[in-house]
Amino acid sequence: MNLLFPSREFDDAVAAVCHGVATDEQMGALNVLLHGNPTARDEYLLRVELHSRLASDPDLFSSTSVKAADSDLNGLRSSRAPNIVPLPPRAPHRRQVVSWAIGSAACFLILAAVGVTWFKRPSSRKPTSMAVAVLSQAVAPRWNSRADALAVGTALEPGWLRLKSGLVQVTFYSGARLVIEGPAQVQLVSPGKAFCQAGRVVAVVPAQARGFRVGTPQVEVADLGTAFGLDVKRGSAEVHVFKGEVEYQGRAATKQSLKEGRAVVVDESEVARQASADPAAFASLFDLERKWLAMLALRYEDWRAASARRNQDPSLLARFDFEDIAASGWALHNGAAGLSGVPDATIVGCQATEGRWPGKRALEFRSMSDRVRFGVPGEFRALTLSAWVNVKGLDREFNSLFMCDGFAPGTIHWQIRNDGVLDLGVQGPRPVDVQILVSPAVVGFNQFGQWLHLAVVVNGEHRQVVHYVNGTAVSRHALKHSPPYRLGPAELGNWNPGEFPHKPPLLIRHFSGAMDEFTLFNRALSDADIQALYSEGKPQPDL
Amino acid sequence: MPSDPKHTSGDQAAAQQRFLSLFLRSEWEVFRYVAALVPNQADAEDIVQQTALALWEKFDDYDPARPFTPWACRFALNKARQWMERRQRWQALLTEGLAEELANRREELRPELERRLRHLDSCLGKLSEDQRTLVEGYYHRRTGIDALAGESGRTVEATYKVLQRVRHALRLCIESAVQQDGATL
Repeated sequence: MNLLFPSREFDDAVAAVCHGVATDEQMGALNVLLHGNPTARDEYLLRVELHSRLASDPDLFSSTSVKAADSDLNGLRSSRAPNIVPLPPRAPHRRQVVSWAIGSAACFLILAAVGVTWFKRPSSRKPTSMAVAVLSQAVAPRWNSRADALAVGTALEPGWLRLKSGLVQVTFYSGARLVIEGPAQVQLVSPGKAFCQAGRVVAVVPAQARGFRVGTPQVEVADLGTAFGLDVKRGSAEVHVFKGEVEYQGRAATKQSLKEGRAVVVDESEVARQASADPAAFASLFDLERKWLAMLALRYEDWRAASARRNQDPSLLARFDFEDIAASGWALHNGAAGLSGVPDATIVGCQATEGRWPGKRALEFRSMSDRVRFGVPGEFRALTLSAWVNVKGLDREFNSLFMCDGFAPGTIHWQIRNDGVLDLGVQGPRPVDVQILVSPAVVGFNQFGQWLHLAVVVNGEHRQVVHYVNGTAVSRHALKHSPPYRLGPAELGNWNPGEFPHKPPLLIRHFSGAMDEFTLFNRALSDADIQALYSEGKPQPDL
Repeated sequence: MPSDPKHTSGDQAAAQQRFLSLFLRSEWEVFRYVAALVPNQADAEDIVQQTALALWEKFDDYDPARPFTPWACRFALNKARQWMERRQRWQALLTEGLAEELANRREELRPELERRLRHLDSCLGKLSEDQRTLVEGYYHRRTGIDALAGESGRTVEATYKVLQRVRHALRLCIESAVQQDGATL
């Protein structure tokens, strides 16, 4: 018997396998087909998964029994009955068909609770966001509490910003910018509205955000195309118009307009006194941009110094800092070349782009052919890979970070899966012996567009793999395959299947985003080493 | 049989409880892992049972710092292999490394499978009363095929055929839902 795909015979054979009534002939023919045809194999896996999901997800039939499990343990028990497992007291006779032999009611309660949470299926909702603004700049911010702390680049949903000291800039989705100086308490209400409980703020409102409003306990200010400052203290609010015009309204009073160069003070008695605007009083807020750039330049300098030290590390195999990429160049300098003997890399496609700091270069991977190729000869007992990346999106099933060509024994493949998990594959002696070590989902919408430090340690001696994000371990795994590990020809940001006996078409798996540092060590870095690596390279000082 | 390190029945009960809570959380996962190799429900359950026994025997070796499910799946793969050895028909399907290839590929495909199967719930809602009753009987209540055929007045052959058609309908429904996902993003 010979099976084609797609065909009615294929459909019938898969169904027969699911029902357990397939003939020897059907089984044999399926084996041949699935071996030779990856598309048929994937379709087979999907159909079987659909079948096994129906058989193993009681929630699908919740209207009849399992919804009751929340309140009715018997409901859960009966729904579980098909998968009865015998549990002999450590002297197992091979086949014992008994039900859960558990006398203790308390134990069953625990099990029931476990079961109920487990059966919750992942939400099928589409990704949504309530955000109204983004934290766009910050200089030496100190927040009221750890819970209030926010990183630059964070999308902000309606809620309070509580700043003890320092300066931050919030850019609303309407286009309005609010510079806030601590101590301050400011509530984000909508893309077009904020409320300042206390503190000093400057609002810069471009034409497209006209009508942007800032409330205070005493007075509400509606912008008419301006820059204005607010100083809100206990019992009084000052409004200073530096440019354009605003409308303000006290609690009881009617709307009044306030022109450029003028200020108004509204106190507890609701009496409004006009005065001249005083830009000097807000000088520190206008200075944010300059301070921000100075801070970034300083961070860049610190990183450069650390970077020069790093290049002397004798355990380095390759270190690409992307500092020297020219618009038309295709060579990428290996900073560790003198020590490791790993030659410079070759850039295929890609675009030069800005990295973590103004003036710092990075490489952007955008099209399906973009990649950086290099070769690492030798055999290794341990490896550490570290990269600064800015993920634009996870559009493909696999998004390559560092990938050895093909599936040769001892090679590794480091990528981000489209569900946001970090995925390290370690090849065993045969292509089917790959061990895939995945972290929890760590890259999602909130990480897109931000600089992230990703690292993975392959420790042959302790047979352990550890995934890291921003200096912190996110998962540790037992490693099955023993050293030596080999890298050979490899790529950043893409994958070359090499000699792997797979017929095209191949899965597109290029990285979508920018990379501005990649380091490869021939030793297993410790948690503290990885933390240090992150601290050296983080775009801004800690919060 | 390894010597039993647990001396009192209290320790034994605690270990049993710990094992059960871990295993229960992983049970359906392990079942689906096994079913990718041996899709027939009854056989897959058989293998899961034997896996549970083997896991319990080796529970002393389990390192609680590591996730339980992958540990359990390794046992399940072994048990599936042993089980196959005694069943030529299944050997014919899974020979030449196809079992390992399916298990590995399934791991790679997981996000894709999840993306599709999350529509299963709503697609089930679109089945006719008759189809739904059959699916529920077969998959959920685990009623035997003979009884299901008897209930509906169909032959066993025809009952299998209806199940196949229902899965096909679900498959199409899921695919179109996935397409719509893409279109409205």
